[in-house]
Amino acid sequence: MNFKKQLREGLLTQNPVLVQLLGMCSTLAITTSLFNGLGMGISVLVILTCSNVVISLLRKVIPSKIRIAAYIVIIAGFVTMVDLLMQAFLPDLSNSLGVFIPLIVVNCIILGRAEAFASKNTVAASAVDGVTQGLGYLAALVVMCIVRELLGNGTFGSGVLSADGARIIAEPYPALMMILPVGGFLTLGCLIAFAQWLVKKLNDKEAAAK
Amino acid sequence: MKTYVLKLTGVLFLITAVVAVLLGGVNAITEGRIADINAEKTAAAIRTVLPSEAEPEPVQDYADDTGLVTAVYRMGEDGYAVQLVVAGSQGEITMMVGVDAEGAVSGVSFIQMSETAGLGAVAAQDNAKGRAFRDQFVGKSGSVAVTKDGGDIDALTSATITSRAVATGVNAALSCVANFG
Repeated sequence: MNFKKQLREGLLTQNPVLVQLLGMCSTLAITTSLFNGLGMGISVLVILTCSNVVISLLRKVIPSKIRIAAYIVIIAGFVTMVDLLMQAFLPDLSNSLGVFIPLIVVNCIILGRAEAFASKNTVAASAVDGVTQGLGYLAALVVMCIVRELLGNGTFGSGVLSADGARIIAEPYPALMMILPVGGFLTLGCLIAFAQWLVKKLNDKEAAAK
Repeated sequence: MKTYVLKLTGVLFLITAVVAVLLGGVNAITEGRIADINAEKTAAAIRTVLPSEAEPEPVQDYADDTGLVTAVYRMGEDGYAVQLVVAGSQGEITMMVGVDAEGAVSGVSFIQMSETAGLGAVAAQDNAKGRAFRDQFVGKSGSVAVTKDGGDIDALTSATITSRAVATGVNAALSCVANFG
């Protein structure tokens, strides 16, 4: 087990959003404020880790013919629990994430990691994979949120620091477009390009070192 | 072959059963709290739209010609709070409209909406622009309309989808309360 390697993969070289291009729908839809990004990222991190552990535990029990059905039941179970607990204990967050929490069930990151990793690896490695991939998703969301909130709304950390956040760009200047769907695509495109550039640079450096 | 099919069914059944039991447990813990939170949200929305000391009392037999009204609460002698669902730009808007004893709007608030952030969603926000928009409806009676439709409500955006939806809701609430006579 190599935590450092898995962390690097989750955060950059195999980042679920920026490199594997999974879970795009929620990424584009909810990254309008830091509050949403943190809430969604942490929810996915928790659900991904739980479902990875359980699926890894059951990997020798679940026959391969029904594995997808079994995975979906397990994932849907965790998602519904998180959804209910959030509605009961964090109603504000639940209000603002709305339908995207139940939609985590069909988020490709969770099923993708179950299929590609948890079904073939030990429980401990799968738990680490859940945490590192979850952190990668969280990191991508947080960057998207900070960029879009700053350019589109002119604030930083609304809902986290204070209700309205810290205003950085004065009222009439923020480009509203950035918190509309088009801004999501623009930000994501730039972010993916940046991540690819970074991955290539790291690879070149490693090749040079050899 | 037969035993293999039985095994598949058995494993899937067991997984589903365990998940169902766990979900039942979580539901038992959270059900009461969620109901309380929703009830409190409704009560808070009622008090924002119609300042009154009276306990909100649900009215069952109201006459609604628009089909938008989902609940009506009588606030003693102070008037009514009407909860309704109108079609916004991104989905349904659940809103609360207060109508005072004189049949004029005493306030508008939003319980649930998914309007565009920064555009229509401003209607529900607790900032200067949101408050100014909602305050326009206060004191109006009869019917309201946005300026684009010949009324005197300044719309939030030039597309006026959310603003029109809110005006429709306010009109439905006014006519529903007018039916009480």
